[in-house]
Amino acid sequence: MKKLLMGNEAMAHAALEAGVRVVAGYPGTPSSEIVETVARLHAAGSAKGVHVEWSTNEKVALELLFGASLAGARGLFTCKQMGLNVASDALMSLNYVSVRGGLVLVVADDPGPISSQTEQDTRRFAAFAKVPVLDPATPEQAFDMVKVAFDLSERFHTPVIVRPTTRVDHASAFFEVAEQTEALPVPDEGFERDVSKWVIFPRRAFQAHGEINERLRAMAGAFSQEEPFASFNESFAMPQGQFDAATFGIVAGGISAAYAREALRMVAQRAEQAGLALPACRFMQVGTPYPFPHEAMARFSVGLSDVLVIEELDYVLEDELVKFAGRTHAAFNVHGKLTGDARDRGENDVDDIAARIERFLGLSGRLRLRRREMIERGEVVQGIEYPEADSLPVRPPVLCPGCPHRGSFYAVKQALRKTPAVLCGDIGCYTLGNAQPLDAVDTCLCMGAGVTMAQGFSVADPDKKAVAFIGDSTFFASGMTGLANAAYNGHDITVMVLDNATTAMTGSQPHPGTGQTLMGPKNEPLSIEGVLAANGFLHVYHANPLDKDASIVAAKAAIAFEGPSAVIFESPCIQLITPDAPVSVDAQKCTGCKKCITEIGCPGISFDPHAAGPNSGSRGQAVIDTALCNGCDLCVQVCPFKAIECPVSPEEGGQDA
Amino acid sequence: MLNVMLTGVGGQGTVLAAKVLAQAAQEKGWRVRTAETIGMAQRGGSVVSHVRMGNEGEEVYSPLIAKGTADIVVAFEPAEAARVLPYLSVTGVLVTATTAIQPVTAALSADPYKGAQVIRGLVEAFQDAPERLLVVPDEALLKRVGNRKALNTVLLASAIGTGRLPLTVDDLRDAVRACVKPAFVELNLQAIDVALG
Repeated sequence: MKKLLMGNEAMAHAALEAGVRVVAGYPGTPSSEIVETVARLHAAGSAKGVHVEWSTNEKVALELLFGASLAGARGLFTCKQMGLNVASDALMSLNYVSVRGGLVLVVADDPGPISSQTEQDTRRFAAFAKVPVLDPATPEQAFDMVKVAFDLSERFHTPVIVRPTTRVDHASAFFEVAEQTEALPVPDEGFERDVSKWVIFPRRAFQAHGEINERLRAMAGAFSQEEPFASFNESFAMPQGQFDAATFGIVAGGISAAYAREALRMVAQRAEQAGLALPACRFMQVGTPYPFPHEAMARFSVGLSDVLVIEELDYVLEDELVKFAGRTHAAFNVHGKLTGDARDRGENDVDDIAARIERFLGLSGRLRLRRREMIERGEVVQGIEYPEADSLPVRPPVLCPGCPHRGSFYAVKQALRKTPAVLCGDIGCYTLGNAQPLDAVDTCLCMGAGVTMAQGFSVADPDKKAVAFIGDSTFFASGMTGLANAAYNGHDITVMVLDNATTAMTGSQPHPGTGQTLMGPKNEPLSIEGVLAANGFLHVYHANPLDKDASIVAAKAAIAFEGPSAVIFESPCIQLITPDAPVSVDAQKCTGCKKCITEIGCPGISFDPHAAGPNSGSRGQAVIDTALCNGCDLCVQVCPFKAIECPVSPEEGGQDA
Repeated sequence: MLNVMLTGVGGQGTVLAAKVLAQAAQEKGWRVRTAETIGMAQRGGSVVSHVRMGNEGEEVYSPLIAKGTADIVVAFEPAEAARVLPYLSVTGVLVTATTAIQPVTAALSADPYKGAQVIRGLVEAFQDAPERLLVVPDEALLKRVGNRKALNTVLLASAIGTGRLPLTVDDLRDAVRACVKPAFVELNLQAIDVALG
């Protein structure tokens, strides 16, 4: 039976069908579901022989996989685009050492960006690392590419990157997949010692560089000529059969290739409706951007006068076409991001691409004219518009109702009061502590940088107290080396560890502090306090962030200490627990002062200007949305009039079961 | 080509609704693509699910719906309905819930957002084509179902009830049975009956 699978799920199935033996990564949107799918299939007993894990960070995952590859196992690495920055040290060198068991890296890029700090382009990274990269336009193609990437890797002894983007990762289509998979066996001899091969030295690196150059040349040829690669670089003509007549060419990559095909169909329909002939044009998807398939491009571009390049993030294909045109003295002009003919950043969409194609084909003026004539004749129905679209409420992401981070941020702000301070944030749900009214994040850079940036502030701006926030998963991923540095160099910082017992933002993945593994067994959880102590943090306080007063006391004590100190705020993510019964507002006591709203900004509390009581006059009163409130009770402690109450007895449960 | 856009606030259940619809389309032998909002926006932000169905045997390339091409917009929240209106085609139908979800930013402001006001604005906007707007009294219906989690099924059933999609209520029931966790199938089937009753 066909199953509806997200691109990420499909790629997990593809790797398992290719016999992958070891799968490792670190969570990051939009990549996380790949490892989760492998873990789910392993737990269900349908993926046999596979080892799957969330590693502590991307560098750890890739190095672990490289070891497995040298032993002869096929390995799959997954991360988001910035995760490759963390793993880049390993990647750059392992390409020189060369792989044994197929090693495939699925690196998910995030145009927009939708859930990321940068719009970096992994196709560029692949070229920088001299590693081939495949760029799928659809979940189906992502499936095919992951499968074939393992063979490519073993044939050329190279790591291979598959680079989906968010709209491929999180788009779904129906797939026929194997019910059972079995990991390919590791060769009987396992790892074979060969110092001249597996140990990187300058002399070996020089030699290896030549091998890399050679295999890149060979792969560029294969990408142009051999199936299935050649079909990843497929081209066609519109109208059909007009290939030789066409002087316009459209070249697209990744999801933009899917958008551009949709846009081209749309433009053809519009032209037909307006009674205009569609100028003959060619279309090509470049599915193997690096090494660039020169021969395929030579076949495609012969006789063209103009080429429009549609891609997201960087102008990678455009650069290649400019180089290609220069090298071959080609007569075509290249239009794209560099010439202002395509969006220079963010996502593309079908509407925008259709407008650009119309302009490129010289149709837009005539189409506009025809449309105006049709409007005059009353043949065009206008779309319905909402009159006050600008007045609609904006919905920036916020901490969930009952999120324990809210209590931690509130306590730290209360403890600091007027003390000058720099609040260094980090990557995770707790970046959302920046929003009003908490307003408790002054900086955010990259994984683990809160702890280390705070040290820079303590040196350069010592009059302000340097405070760092770090989540539990980030703590293990990249916080520990920063802690050691603080103790070693004696920096006066206070680290607020927000321990909610999960990797929350990416969808509740376990980490070393939970001990829970994807293989099933639970190992002894690593102690955050133990790690702090081992790294020289001896002044460490504990608090439950949902206990307001105790949290403020702990934060005050840690902040008062001169030198490295920490508070561990411990309370599980609300996604992990059964909610308590919702609190309620006592209409007799509420004064309508709004303090519950303006102090902690919980989405479960809103204000009803028409509600009335003896103490609120005509001001209105706070109201609790019982569907959202999970009974964390922080607002109960914040209300100066004791007007918010916990339920006396547990409500009859099951309503939202 | 049939394009259905489902929109709401993170956590309201648009993802499952999109799955159910895709399943119904698959059973018809149509090509289907869907796309979801996953990640930071799920934390109380606006979310949109796209379902594209090649019901005439045509290829579906893009997973995302272009502006002015949605045959049906199913909105789980009034402000989100108004926000995605540019995607509705000139013959498209808007199905919207009435219950507003207040963002924290609005609660902090002196002038909180009012769902009823947005619904009035929508009714006004559709005054020349009232048959293309269906305002679903979700609160009353869900009270009868007895579970607010059934919002997605109530809205989907209402959308099917408009007759704008070549899918029947039985197609929807079958898809619910195939997609929803066994423990919740009965609840959702009941929600269909309540919505169309």
